[in-house]
Amino acid sequence: MKTKIMTLCVNGRDHRFEAPVNRTLLQALRDDLKLTETKYGCGTGECGGCTVLMDGKESICSCLTLAVEAEGRHITTVGGMTRDGELHPIQIAFIEEGAIQCGYCTPGMIMKTASILANNPHPSEDEIREGLEGNICRCTGYEKIVLAVQRASQMLDNSQIQKSGGMGQ
Amino acid sequence: MSSRVLPQFDLLTPQSIPEAVAMLSQHQGQVSVLAGGTDMLLWNYIRKVKPTYLLRLSGLDELDYLNYIPGEGLIIGAKVKIVQLLEHPDVAEKFPALYQAASTFATPQIRNMATVMGNVLRGSPAGDCSCAILALGGQVVLQGPQGERLVGIDDFWVAYGVTERKNDELAVELRIPEPTSTTRSAFIRMTRVHEDLAKINVAVCLEMKQNTCQRARIAMGCVGPILVRLKQTEKLLEGQQITGELLEQLAASAQEEIAPIDDQRSTEEYRRQVAGVILRRVIEKAVGTH
Ligand SMILES: Cc1cc2nc3c(=O)[nH]c(=O)nc-3n(C[C@H](O)[C@H](O)[C@H](O)COP(=O)(O)OP(=O)(O)OC[C@H]3O[C@@H](n4cnc5c(N)ncnc54)[C@H](O)[C@@H]3O)c2cc1C
Ligand code: FES
Ligand code: FES
Repeated sequence: MKTKIMTLCVNGRDHRFEAPVNRTLLQALRDDLKLTETKYGCGTGECGGCTVLMDGKESICSCLTLAVEAEGRHITTVGGMTRDGELHPIQIAFIEEGAIQCGYCTPGMIMKTASILANNPHPSEDEIREGLEGNICRCTGYEKIVLAVQRASQMLDNSQIQKSGGMGQ
Repeated sequence: MSSRVLPQFDLLTPQSIPEAVAMLSQHQGQVSVLAGGTDMLLWNYIRKVKPTYLLRLSGLDELDYLNYIPGEGLIIGAKVKIVQLLEHPDVAEKFPALYQAASTFATPQIRNMATVMGNVLRGSPAGDCSCAILALGGQVVLQGPQGERLVGIDDFWVAYGVTERKNDELAVELRIPEPTSTTRSAFIRMTRVHEDLAKINVAVCLEMKQNTCQRARIAMGCVGPILVRLKQTEKLLEGQQITGELLEQLAASAQEEIAPIDDQRSTEEYRRQVAGVILRRVIEKAVGTH
C-alpha cells in the first residue's frame, strides 16, 4: 500500500503522521489524528456532517478531499472553536437556542455557520438558509438552527464591545 | 475506519504544465486528473475508473485564473472553482447563463471545491455549467506532447462520460466568446431536491434585434447520453419575432427533438413534457419577459 508522511495543520497545531495516500481528510482527522468531532454521514458530499474550514473561511467537505490536498492549509474543526476552555459564541448560540437534538449534524453546522459569518457578518434569513443548504439535520427542522445563526451574528457583534467574559450569558 | 476506503492509487504531483503532460504520456491511460475531486473521489466513480495514478493540480497554480478580456471573452483556467464564477462581476453581467448555472450548482461546500473544468471533463449530460457553456459556445484548450489544441464545445463530448481529450492531454483552459450588446442568455434547471443533480436543464444564448431573434444556440441536458444542442428548434427561432405562438411551436419542436430515458431522477415521458415548458421559460428569462 502506498503511504506518505503528511503534515496537517489542524486548529493551529501541526500533526505529522504516516498514512496511505488514499486517505480522505475526514479519515485522517478521525482515524489518524483521533480528532473525532468531525462526522461521517454520507461520504458523498451531500450531508455536510464532515464540513471543516480551510484557511479560516472556506467551508469544504472533508469526505471528498484527499488528506494530502490539505497539506499546507490551515484546517479548523469544531474542536478548534473553543478558546482557553471557553465556548465560542457560535457554540453558545446553538446551545441557547436549543438548535441541537441528537447533535450529529452540529459540528458541521457550527463550521458552516463560522464560514457564513466570516464572509458575511450580518446575513439575512434567506442568506442563512442558502448558506446552510449543504448541511442536513434530521432532527431539528432547521428553525432553531437559523435562530442560532442569527443570535451568533449578534453575539459576535456584542463581543467586539464587551471584551471581558460573560459573552452572551 | 470512519468511512469507505477509496481504492488504492499512487499520486503524481507535477510542478509545471510540461511536467504534467510528460507524466500523462509516460503512464498513458493509467492516470486520472484530480481537480476538486467532487466527482473523482465519489466511491462509485473512482471504483469504475480505477486509476493507477491520480495526477494532482496542487503544484499548478498557474491554472488558477479567471479573466474577462473585452473584445475576446471569458477565459477560465482549469483550477477555477464554481464559487469564483459567482464572485466575478463580469460573469454575472456578460454571461448570465453561466452565472445562473453556478448559482444553482450543488451546495456552498461543493461550490468551494468543484472546478468548472471538472464539470466539462466529467462529460455528464447533467452538467450545469457545461450546459451553459454549450449554449454560450466556446472552446476547450488541451495541452499535449505535440503542443496546444483547441476543441470547440460542440464537438467536445462524444459519449456518456467520454470527451475528445486524449489520455496524454491536460485540459488547461476554457474560452467563452465575447457577447455583443444584444446577446441575451439564461439557464434553468429542475431538480428533485435542491442539492440533487438536474433531472433536466436548459440554457439559451440568443442574438436579438429588438424582438427578433437573429441567431440562437439552445443546449439541453439529461435528455440523451450527452448534452445536446436543439438545432431544429434553433432554426425555427432564428429570424422570428418572439411571440406566444412561436414559443408554443418551439416547445413542441423541443419535445420531438430530444431522446430522454427513464432513470432514477425522472421518466422519459415527464422529461419530454417539461422540456417544452422549461425551454419557453428560459427564452422568456433570457429576453427579460419572465
Ligand atoms: C453533493 C454533490 C452535488 C453536486 N451537484 C452538482 C450540480 O448541481 N451540478 C453539476 O453540474 N454537478 C454537480 N455535481 C458534480 C460535480 O461537483 C461537478 O461535475 C464538478 O464540476 C466536478 O469538478 P471537480 O473539480 O470536482 O472535478 P473532479 O472530480 O476532480 O474531476 C472530474 C473529472 O474531470 C477530469 N478532469 C478534471 N480536471 C481535468 C483537467 N484539467 N484535465 C483533464 N481532466 C480533468 C477528472 O479526471 C475527472 O474525470 C455534484 C457533486 C456532488 C458530490
Ligand atoms: S460525510 Fe461529507 S458531506 Fe456527508
Ligand atoms: S440535531 Fe440530529 S441531525 Fe441535527
